[in-house]
Amino acid sequence: MPLSTQSQADDEQYVLVASLDNARNLSNILKAITFKDHAIFNATPNGLKVTVEDSKCLQANAFIQAEIFQEFTIKEDVVGFQVNLTVLLDCLNIFGGSTVPGVSTALRMCYRGYGYPLTLFLEEGGVVTVCKINTQEPEEPIDFEFCSANVTNKVILLSESLKEPFSELDMTSEVLQITMSPSQPYFRLSTFGNSGNAHYDYPKDSEMMELFRCNKTQTNRYKMSLLKPSTKALALSSKVSVRTDSRGFLSLQYLVRNDDGQICFVEYYCCPDEEVE
Amino acid sequence: MSCTRVFRQVCYLHVSSSDSDHCHLSHVVFLYLQGQNPNCRRRLQCGENGTVPKDTEKDSEARAKPQGRRKAFGKAIHALSRIGDELWLDPMVKGLALRSVNTSHSAYACFLFSPIFFQCYNLECGPEQDNQSIKCKLTLKSVLPLFRCLTSIERNVERCQISIRTPSDCVVIQFFCRHGLIKTHNLCFQESEALQAEFASHLCPNVLKAPARLLGDMVMHFPVSQEEITLSTTPQRVSLRNYYEGGNDHMRMMYTEMSLHPDEFVHFQVGVDSDITFCLKELRGLLSFADSHCLPVSVLFGAAGKPVCFFMEDVVLEATVVLATLSDSESDPSQPTASPAPTSRRCEEAATAAAAAVPAGSHEAQDIPAVMELIPSSQGSPILHPPGLMQLLPQCDVPDGLGVPGEGCASATPASTPICSLLFRALSSQQQQDHDGPSVLACDSDAEDETLAVRTL
Repeated sequence: MPLSTQSQADDEQYVLVASLDNARNLSNILKAITFKDHAIFNATPNGLKVTVEDSKCLQANAFIQAEIFQEFTIKEDVVGFQVNLTVLLDCLNIFGGSTVPGVSTALRMCYRGYGYPLTLFLEEGGVVTVCKINTQEPEEPIDFEFCSANVTNKVILLSESLKEPFSELDMTSEVLQITMSPSQPYFRLSTFGNSGNAHYDYPKDSEMMELFRCNKTQTNRYKMSLLKPSTKALALSSKVSVRTDSRGFLSLQYLVRNDDGQICFVEYYCCPDEEVE
Repeated sequence: MSCTRVFRQVCYLHVSSSDSDHCHLSHVVFLYLQGQNPNCRRRLQCGENGTVPKDTEKDSEARAKPQGRRKAFGKAIHALSRIGDELWLDPMVKGLALRSVNTSHSAYACFLFSPIFFQCYNLECGPEQDNQSIKCKLTLKSVLPLFRCLTSIERNVERCQISIRTPSDCVVIQFFCRHGLIKTHNLCFQESEALQAEFASHLCPNVLKAPARLLGDMVMHFPVSQEEITLSTTPQRVSLRNYYEGGNDHMRMMYTEMSLHPDEFVHFQVGVDSDITFCLKELRGLLSFADSHCLPVSVLFGAAGKPVCFFMEDVVLEATVVLATLSDSESDPSQPTASPAPTSRRCEEAATAAAAAVPAGSHEAQDIPAVMELIPSSQGSPILHPPGLMQLLPQCDVPDGLGVPGEGCASATPASTPICSLLFRALSSQQQQDHDGPSVLACDSDAEDETLAVRTL
């Protein structure tokens, strides 16, 4: 592989080197969180975490574990930088996204450290492209202080049952209301649009409901504009866990299987718009 | 041939309400469209006096394809969305009517689903409603998305329930889907005068009945952008060709014409040679519906200028589209009152219906404002204003006889005036004449705004 013939000496300069035989394993998951231009990259020996935020109310994280990469070398405990996510995705797809089976773009992502650009070596069919993307000072991601101890309600649903309702949500509604309750209606998504309101009710004993653990009846509203981008993550995922805590903060965690069947996670955190008891 | 209703039976299906929160409703209509459910409920038929006879197999045909019903209902909504922006829902004893009309009142469609189309059809009138059925008007923008993906409805929806509640003025459409998911849509409606176009089908000199798919196959040859087509009929042949306004750009047009021999039709009756031009776009929805149901389509029409009616029916439903046609006038339409419609030379003279729907008695002709163009009708119908004015006529001469030439028009203009409009009869009650209520003949935007304003106060 041409990429592996990069001299070992070069590697000495990089604090982070990550290689993938199939760049789609990274680009697909990043598409699930691309609703803003800029993303914060945070690499640790465990893997890569990419964060995108919106107006201090919404945060999306994509986790790609070190095991997913064919090579993952990190020289420091934490390596962080910020790049333009749209540009990064364009580079990852620079060969045009081939659909021929067996043909994939190989990726070698290298970062020399603070002040240096992110270097991508992309190869397909013997052709190598080198992309250098400017990096910025990473912002500190918001800590939503969402911890398991404060979770009041949790359900795990198969994504298949949510995909259609999410795609047909009434966009004239400013909010998406989520009701979780140990009694009827158990799990309900509601919209309030121009022509009326709509409710999607999921019973707790449905085959689509893998886990149902609701202790308290809670109804919270979230801005539709913030949650609508999560539809992309939903489309990629096979399962989603929906949790709310005592403050009404929402956590959506999506289990995504990549092309090779490996598991990655995408999560969304969202502040409530207003609390409705 | 008249527009007879072919329902062999009218079923009053009584279902005990299982939802406690329905008990306060003064007027409730329950309609169930059942899907492929192995636990298909046995339907009970209730006589007028409330007795419950044994279950019958009379409508086995209706039960044969329950899975097609939701799709058919959705397709009707799609077809109506091609006509206008609003949907009138009219639950009646004889069935549920879905109607729409376009803004210039030159196209009207009605889909009537008999009670046996539904798994359950329940009309309940509260005491204050008397015998009046409710008439509600929804925007198609709010209804169409619910039925947009028909294949998904077929696959996922086990049951569709539509209920109309008057105190809260909302239509509730519920989809009971696979895996227990229930989608509930509460749509607010405006109470509105019912809408129904009058069409004297038995007065039409020309009646063609085309076998299923014939018309659909013919119009397929016209480009999607084709606005209007001309149907020419002689006793020897029927032809369809595209129609272009104005004399310009002759050289850049592609003319398409196709002819059919009378033998191609199931029924062929040509009383008068005619060339009628009407809007194709509005018809396509109905033809698509007919194609998917393999239903023959009847075309009823007369000379140019009179409306054309496309009609199809089967045991459980009937669908009608009435379109305005251009008049004979070839001259430049120097119409004093401009019409808002882009195809401004729409014209039609509506014939009053002597069908059963016409209430007894006639009204006194009111003074018709002089600014309006009046075109005499050989059918005796009163003339309405051109679409541009959209004035509400409180009362008009409505003879309930057959073809009595009406002299109720204050003035007449030569028949060459191209603009006229479709005559609508708004039913203020079920075939009952209000003692002093004016019969609304055209729902015009102004009145609707007033209604809306009143309602929001």
